[in-house]
Amino acid sequence: MTKVLRCLLVTLLFSFIVSPVVLADTEDETSGSIDIMGKVADHDYLELAGAKLYLPRILYADGSLDIYANTERAVESGKYMLDNGILVRADGTPVAIDFSITSHLMYVWFGILLTLIMTLAAARRYRRGTGTKTEPKGVLQNLFEVFFLFIRDDIAKEYIPDNKHHKFVTYLFSVFWAIAFMNLFGLLPWGVSATADLTVTATLAGITFVITQFNGSKDHWRHVFMFPGVHPLVRLILTPVEILGLFTKPFALAIRLFANMLSGKIMIICILGLIFIFTDTFGAAFGLGSSVIWVALTSVIYILKAFIALLQAYIFTLLSAVFIGMAVEEHHHEHDDSSVAHVTEANI
Amino acid sequence: MGLGFLGAGIGAGIIAIGAGIGIGLIGKGAVESIARQPEASGDIRGAMILTAAFIEGVALIGAIVCILLALAIGQ
Repeated sequence: MTKVLRCLLVTLLFSFIVSPVVLADTEDETSGSIDIMGKVADHDYLELAGAKLYLPRILYADGSLDIYANTERAVESGKYMLDNGILVRADGTPVAIDFSITSHLMYVWFGILLTLIMTLAAARRYRRGTGTKTEPKGVLQNLFEVFFLFIRDDIAKEYIPDNKHHKFVTYLFSVFWAIAFMNLFGLLPWGVSATADLTVTATLAGITFVITQFNGSKDHWRHVFMFPGVHPLVRLILTPVEILGLFTKPFALAIRLFANMLSGKIMIICILGLIFIFTDTFGAAFGLGSSVIWVALTSVIYILKAFIALLQAYIFTLLSAVFIGMAVEEHHHEHDDSSVAHVTEANI
Repeated sequence: MGLGFLGAGIGAGIIAIGAGIGIGLIGKGAVESIARQPEASGDIRGAMILTAAFIEGVALIGAIVCILLALAIGQ
């Protein structure tokens, strides 16, 4: 087994070393530079093995909804034109809302779809009795149960107090797997990690924000607007800080996931880019020689990224549970002597 | 233009120093408390990851600012 894996690793390493240098030669003729942001940006097509599948454009402008099969059709219709790769109205009026389906959105849907298939398959098994009357069967169901129990017992039950966690386990479990799948898609060849887009992570954090606020207990709102147990003048400062705190929590949640996935991707492109730079400066032989180091380093970062993909999904779920738990918590104690603890809690 | 790149680089370095000190202190505290009380290692690990995530979040905001700065100068 180890021997097979070792052979596979050497073959992969060799193919990785050869292909960048071949690409390095062709790259010079076309553009001469690597477009780092273009690799992580949102596109209007899905790419697989060099073939591009263009996605529909849906634009809302001037009170009417325009639907085109792809960007080219939109330009052909004469109503729109391309300006630096962005679709704008030909007559200069602004596009009100751009509902276009992009590559990141497709990968969000793939992530959600995989989560849905996984949970529905597991649910069907449990309904048939496998796992409830007998032991869970097969690797997949066992894995499912391990992760489900982990999220229910170690995340939801621990951080959401007063036995209120039942309502939120479904959200936490599905958001964990959706994010994990979205992160892991970025590791596939031609794959895109949708979470390396601020709009995607902001939407996810927004869902957590809405759930948190709609389930806030009376104590939660009293702590926001009328902080108990402090001088009224202090409330003048505390209330704005608390209201700001409501919004900084999901903001930090969105930025953390986005920045982690984006920086991992940029790091890999930059390190592989060193091969191109060395080939350019010192010649192909030096580039080929140095690529041994860079490809090995990239492989290590790749494994680290696989770990980070799951870790970030875990951290997002954990912090969502912590924020929800802080909102639904009911305080049973005297407020006068516990105000210090609440101030530190509010700073998170 | 060169000085701008230098600024982005120095900024990234300062972020690394700050985050390194912070996460180092968390690791120090966690290892020491696990050594003193090995039976509480599960709770300590959870608290450690949570705190490290907060520091990481701030550090990454800084890193993103540096990347955007460098890219804005490059254009």
